[in-house]
Amino acid sequence: MSDFEPKIVCFSCKFSWGYLANETSLSSQIKNWIPIICSGKVDAKHIMEAFKHGADGVLILGCPEGDCHYQDGNFETKKRVQLLHKVLDSYGIEPERVRMELSLDPEGKRIPELVKSMSETVRGLGPVRQI
Amino acid sequence: MWKTTRDSGAHVEDAVKQMLPPCQIKCPINEDIQRTNVLISLLPEDIESAKAGIIQIGDYLYEKNPFFNICGYICGICELECNYKTKGGAIRRRLLKRFLSDYYTDYLSRKKKTETIKDREDVAIMGGGPGGLMCAYILSQRGYRTTIFEASNRLGGALWLIPEYRLPRDVLQNTLDSLIRIVGIDVQYGAKVGEDGFTLEQLKAKGYKAVFVAKGTPYPRVLTFGREQVEGQDLSGVMYGLDLLYEVSHGNIGPDYFKNKRVIVIGGGNVAFDAARTARRLGGEVTVVALECEDKSSQDGLPADEEEIRAAWEEGLRIICSRGVRKIIGEGGQFRKIDCPRCTSVFDEDGFNPQFDCTDCVEIEGDILIITIGQAADKAFLQREGLLDERGRLAVDSFTLQSLLNPSVFIGGDVRRIGFMVEAMKEGIEAAESIHRYLRGLHMRWGRKRDYEALGLPQRTSYKQPTDVVWIPPEKRMHFQLFERGLTLKEAIEEARRCLTCGPCLSCKACISIGFEKSLYAVAVDEERCSGCGACVYACNYDAARLVERDGKLVSETDMFRCKSCGMCVAACPSEARALVDDATYDRIETTFSLLS
Repeated sequence: MSDFEPKIVCFSCKFSWGYLANETSLSSQIKNWIPIICSGKVDAKHIMEAFKHGADGVLILGCPEGDCHYQDGNFETKKRVQLLHKVLDSYGIEPERVRMELSLDPEGKRIPELVKSMSETVRGLGPVRQI
Repeated sequence: MWKTTRDSGAHVEDAVKQMLPPCQIKCPINEDIQRTNVLISLLPEDIESAKAGIIQIGDYLYEKNPFFNICGYICGICELECNYKTKGGAIRRRLLKRFLSDYYTDYLSRKKKTETIKDREDVAIMGGGPGGLMCAYILSQRGYRTTIFEASNRLGGALWLIPEYRLPRDVLQNTLDSLIRIVGIDVQYGAKVGEDGFTLEQLKAKGYKAVFVAKGTPYPRVLTFGREQVEGQDLSGVMYGLDLLYEVSHGNIGPDYFKNKRVIVIGGGNVAFDAARTARRLGGEVTVVALECEDKSSQDGLPADEEEIRAAWEEGLRIICSRGVRKIIGEGGQFRKIDCPRCTSVFDEDGFNPQFDCTDCVEIEGDILIITIGQAADKAFLQREGLLDERGRLAVDSFTLQSLLNPSVFIGGDVRRIGFMVEAMKEGIEAAESIHRYLRGLHMRWGRKRDYEALGLPQRTSYKQPTDVVWIPPEKRMHFQLFERGLTLKEAIEEARRCLTCGPCLSCKACISIGFEKSLYAVAVDEERCSGCGACVYACNYDAARLVERDGKLVSETDMFRCKSCGMCVAACPSEARALVDDATYDRIETTFSLLS
């Protein structure tokens, strides 16, 4: 267990997270990072598949509430994540493994920190149960 | 700041019908409002790092509108049609441009000249106001050698009549100087009509192949009642608002010019309010007398902008509505009072035709009378040059602005129809296009007619209030310094973020130019898979996903004019019937996942 390094897939909305940062240099600090035009584009299927492929956690970073460039994509995904928590639970996957954060961080400095803190949470849970 | 690419610029396509955001349609020159709002919203919060981005946004706006920084002080027509109007208030686009101007105007004097080779014909432009300048700006960039013949000793025309508390002189001067320097326009000052070498015939003889007449309306309209000119306009103490504003702008009038004077201003338009608020700042106790009624929503309502009227009230001006002027009464050659019958209606079906009830008159006493009821063109010049028809009206094609009597002459701006600055600019643009077509032997009309359709309010769960406009309190603004505070960077970002980006992506493409997206992906629908459930219709906030019946089956389709390629419908589709075509995001997801195991 001690050498378990959780794999966190991180989706982040381009309109709120890291748009002022140099993507290449930020990429080197964040493993499995997928910048996406809107958090509302993150499909439930993507989240399930991440786990299927061996991810131990999925972090979704969206715009602050009420600030979505596409009106309410962040809200749609927030709903999606809540529903998904129940589905994942039935597969024996802890809800803590899918997390959504709605905030604004143009420099993207918090992204590596958030991924790290999520890793810590997931480390405690251990590797994901394969579905 | 951003690595913008040239080919991803927004452009208004030549099309019979085009969808645009309502603000862009309302703007006479169809400025790319949404695009630059998005870019402002993505500026860094630290002003030093933001400056490069501001210059970039400014440069982009400048291409289409070399007066955008001035618009930031005095325009704002676009705000009248903002979809947000019904949800708390329009996006404060004017102040957003003023914000850009606060940083861009200085840079303008350092902005590089364009390197257009001018190997096309010589074109003369009579009048250096916004219409003439705009025409010269465009033609110069298209390789024509342009010369502006300006009667006075400065460019800008009527823009100089806008009081300094609304438009600072240095901003205006810098904008004008930069404009002619950047695109290389020749200017001849003091070129007065009728003087040697300055008739249309002589310009032609000098080799100018086309002329744009944009001489504006240099004369004040005299006061009439019924069909008769009201007597007494030559009394001492009676003046025209236009002359007052002109003298003030030249610095010929001292700060206490109207001290302890009762000043009456006749007129209800923006220029009248400019004159009235100027008179107030010169120490006068000011009363505005207007034909129109207070209710701005009525056809007969005050034509001045609401903000002008509010500011006037705040500054202690008395506004008397629904009164005309029948007599100007003097005593010993000095103005004393006016006799004002009640105006019962201003417009009828034929247009301006005021009616009065002369049994209901009031007399208003004063020391100074300022008449500001409109401006007039130099009819004698137009007559002499053979540009009027037999009924004394301008003979001009209102679409191409080409004279109907002299094909190498084009006429536009206030001289043709009095309007806002940006309307004169629009005429300058149209005249430039017409002159280009005329000189190249192209069809004068083909492909020019545009028909725009506005997109509606996107659906949203919450709406935000606009940023407050901050005016200096009235008791502290009795001077000619700007009375409105500009937005801070933080406020500008917040305000730009409010923009609902309701227009179609095709006319914006901000996300592409800054590298967020590679292109505007089409949403394909696999009709075999589609069950017609309508989940996509629910998910789409832009009314782009719709259900249609095809061969007896309900399937969804995408209206690409409305679609934002956000992918929400794709995520919402339970049967994987929807997909974004050529979207590399999905490849990145796949690659990332494949590297997990």
